[in-house]
Amino acid sequence: MSTVMTAPANTPVWVDTARCKACDICVDACPAGVLSMQQEPTSTLGAMISVIAPDSCIGCNECELSCPDFAIYVADKKEFKFAKLSKDAKARQEAIANNGFRLPTDYKEAN
Amino acid sequence: MAFNYDNYLRTNKMPTLWCWGCGDGVILKSFIRAVEKLGWEKDDICVVSGIGCSGRFSSYVDFNTVHTTHGRTVAFATGIKLANPEKHVICVAGDGDALAIGGNHTIHGCRRNIDITLILINNFIYGLTNSQTSPTTPQGFWTVSQKVGNIDPTFDGCKLAEAAGASFVARENVTAPKKLEKVIREAISHKGFSFVEALSNCHINLGRKNKMQSAMANLDWIDSITVPKKKWDALPEEEKMNKLPTGILKQDTEAREYCESYEMVKEVQQGKRGKITQDDFAKKI
Repeated sequence: MSTVMTAPANTPVWVDTARCKACDICVDACPAGVLSMQQEPTSTLGAMISVIAPDSCIGCNECELSCPDFAIYVADKKEFKFAKLSKDAKARQEAIANNGFRLPTDYKEAN
Repeated sequence: MAFNYDNYLRTNKMPTLWCWGCGDGVILKSFIRAVEKLGWEKDDICVVSGIGCSGRFSSYVDFNTVHTTHGRTVAFATGIKLANPEKHVICVAGDGDALAIGGNHTIHGCRRNIDITLILINNFIYGLTNSQTSPTTPQGFWTVSQKVGNIDPTFDGCKLAEAAGASFVARENVTAPKKLEKVIREAISHKGFSFVEALSNCHINLGRKNKMQSAMANLDWIDSITVPKKKWDALPEEEKMNKLPTGILKQDTEAREYCESYEMVKEVQQGKRGKITQDDFAKKI
């Protein structure tokens, strides 16, 4: 049985966009800059969540726990090998949080 | 495979009707995880909710559910529990629901110490009806019914429950979902009346005129007014006034539970014993 909770292959974190209401909470909760809001004209609030850096996900589950709409899911630690929290990821998270929960268009990774 | 929430949800009702970022969803999630950890059967649980945004709680969970009249959650739940003492009864009510119109039911549920759990979702406002002053709205806040600023002193739901005789009292906020899950788990497995105040956000109807337009701004404000119980105890008196302690505030496993006392009434009626006297109770007055 395939449901929204079944992890797609090699994916640490995935979103059910039919349930997401673009409230920014998961983007704020993520410590590793994995998530960001992106413009989406068809959405009620004009934005939609997107997973911009799945390679940085540390599997802390904070986004899944704090999502009020059952929209975002994190893979099981036994099924996926997560990354460690890096300096680049922290810097990206700060840039996203300071830019209204969206990745700045001119943002460049440090290395 | 991630955690299977849909197992406990009526998925045909998804997405929820709550506003974006509403803390009610986080509380619902924490509750589901708490039930999953305890391993209870879905048919052994009854969720009772009243009127308000919190009233929708019972529509989304796939347990036995009752959506009752305004403020009467504890009254309905008392009846359900007395008829089915082996089942788990959980009430969900908002601050207006359980402390204003249903204030008396809450007090007397606590007094009887009947084995039900009341999850009080406190968002500091009447959210569903668009921002009227609720018993927990902080003084000086803008509301539709007090547009120059609220002058009514606030209620502390936890102190009320403690004084009324609830044997388990706890407070937690939605920014700490793991702690919230733990508190709910302990509350629903506690024997006796358990009162959990979950502080939640309403950036739409509380925040929009009180400088907290986004979910994050409102959650940050809730974070700033709460302190863990241990730290709160160490605060000087004048600071305690403006902070709410979180965590388990009271846990009394000795207190007599109401369904047990009610067994005596059943036995008298069945002719198994004589009438109930003062000697049956430790507390005489």
